[in-house]
Amino acid sequence: MDTGNKVAEVIEASSAEFTAQCYRLDQSPPLGSLVKTQDSLGEIYGVVYNAETHSLDPVRRVIARGENLESEKDIFRANPQLTRLLSTDFKVMVVGHAQGKSLYHYLPPKPVSIHSFVYTCSLEEVRTFTRSLDFLSLLVDVRLPMLVDEVIAACIRYASQAHSDSQAFLVKAGKELAFLLSSDTRRLNSLLKRLK
Amino acid sequence: MFGVGARDILGQSRREMSLDLASLVGQIVDLAASLKTRERERAARLDFALNILKSLSADFDRLRHKIDASKTTWLVAGLKEKIDLRQAAPSCPDDFIILASDGSHIDVDRHQSARCFLINIGVAQLQYGRNPDARLLSFPTLYFKDNEVVIVSPDDGQRIPIKEQLLGVKRSVEECRILAERAVELKADLPLVALLDGSLIFWGLIGQAYDEFVIRELLVEGFLEHLNMMKGLSRDRQLAVASYISSPQSTDVVNVLRLAVCPYETVDCDRNCRGKFERRECDVVGGLLDRDLFARLLAPGERSAIFSSRSSVVMKYYGVQEVDFFYIRLDGEVARVEIPLWVAEDEKLVELVHATISDQCRLGLGYPVALGEAHEQAVVTGADREQFWGLVEQVLADDGMILESSAKRQSKRARWI
Repeated sequence: MDTGNKVAEVIEASSAEFTAQCYRLDQSPPLGSLVKTQDSLGEIYGVVYNAETHSLDPVRRVIARGENLESEKDIFRANPQLTRLLSTDFKVMVVGHAQGKSLYHYLPPKPVSIHSFVYTCSLEEVRTFTRSLDFLSLLVDVRLPMLVDEVIAACIRYASQAHSDSQAFLVKAGKELAFLLSSDTRRLNSLLKRLK
Repeated sequence: MFGVGARDILGQSRREMSLDLASLVGQIVDLAASLKTRERERAARLDFALNILKSLSADFDRLRHKIDASKTTWLVAGLKEKIDLRQAAPSCPDDFIILASDGSHIDVDRHQSARCFLINIGVAQLQYGRNPDARLLSFPTLYFKDNEVVIVSPDDGQRIPIKEQLLGVKRSVEECRILAERAVELKADLPLVALLDGSLIFWGLIGQAYDEFVIRELLVEGFLEHLNMMKGLSRDRQLAVASYISSPQSTDVVNVLRLAVCPYETVDCDRNCRGKFERRECDVVGGLLDRDLFARLLAPGERSAIFSSRSSVVMKYYGVQEVDFFYIRLDGEVARVEIPLWVAEDEKLVELVHATISDQCRLGLGYPVALGEAHEQAVVTGADREQFWGLVEQVLADDGMILESSAKRQSKRARWI
């Protein structure tokens, strides 16, 4: 797991989520991982919920180039311009923020600033942020263009690695989900299966 | 049938309503038939021309002499190598850089009272080999000062505005300037090919009867000076300058064949064939382009002999930057590559240009990838143009200046029916 690198920059922002563009192609933080940006008030935390790589120019389509090459790396060696024409973006759901020493597991008063740098979080930060699982309620209720339960499960699995007793963390998260999804046992069961 | 009926009037743009395609169909069919006939005749001419080309190979010195002594109304290539030479593409060096520039512009708009023009130069810098890397850049510049938008005669103060065709020439100068400046900044350890789009010959200055001071400023003190800068750099590093012409229309080499079949001892079109238009003996190879010849002569990847341009502007002004050229057969087409004399005389540089252009076209699916990317950086779309003028108006209005945008322009913008 990363220990807090600057990996991307915010290119779209709203109160509940933002989109960030990676500085390096294909180097998106993992699905479900915790990232942060900083503004004058403090840190804003979010969970990566989708990543995609595409042409920077919407009218220029990416074409296959490797039929006669041995490896995928050779494609980039033969076409160095590709790294400048393609971009990996990822979307982040805002799940909390910090002001001074206080940590809040709900949305900050203002969205992240455009062009804010996006950093991966260190193990210590992940551990601190996920000591409380209040942010799960934000995730459970959100509507995403992809399967939100995949993101929730990935987030919990990812966070568990930051805790010394990861099994205990998974059990605690399972209980929190059971509470949040008490009226939807089918969804709960399917989610719990993904925590293994 | 072609979707231009009345039912489209409400939903479609005005563009689709302006051309009556249905009434054109018959004429397009006629065009196709006419092309077919012409194509058969052309194929026969081409066979004939190729036979002459091959027969000329043995008589290099005599042909050269004949070219030098000739007075023709058409442009004849100078010979530097055997006319039917075919050279296979060498392989690219392990590591090298291609630096390409291309430009576009927004011309002075006489319906706007803000008198200015914009030139946007795109640059692609692609490094191949062990440390592949790419830089894609654009350099937009707005020209508005008095001494920027006109060329002033040092003798009598005559002022020639830079617009339309002259702005195109100015843009070529800027493409070369930025290319030279970027080349200076590059570390000198790798072979470098500096690539321009289009011809090194300033055709735009020929035939327009521009005054000498205009030619001096744009060509002699502009374009050629930037080429000189790169020639200077080539003393310390392997550097070649080349320009790439896709789908070339030139006939310099076909005209050598005209000269070869000319029955007169001394070739002098005006004296021997005045008024015999289209019925001259040399018209047996008329209508062919150089690229037709070399599409048949060369195998994919091969280059032709190197020729020199004997165009008047080159002979008069270019000096050490004399424009030489060769044709190269690629997968999709025959292209013309122009190089200055100092590149043509260095076998290693010619090999570098030949190898890298061939490779660039393979990578770029028929067109040099670096030029393609430079173009992408340079291109100014119609929407960009509108936004640009909108921004000019807005900034000036914010500054308290009211612009007299012409009525015609206003009417174009508000597209009422």
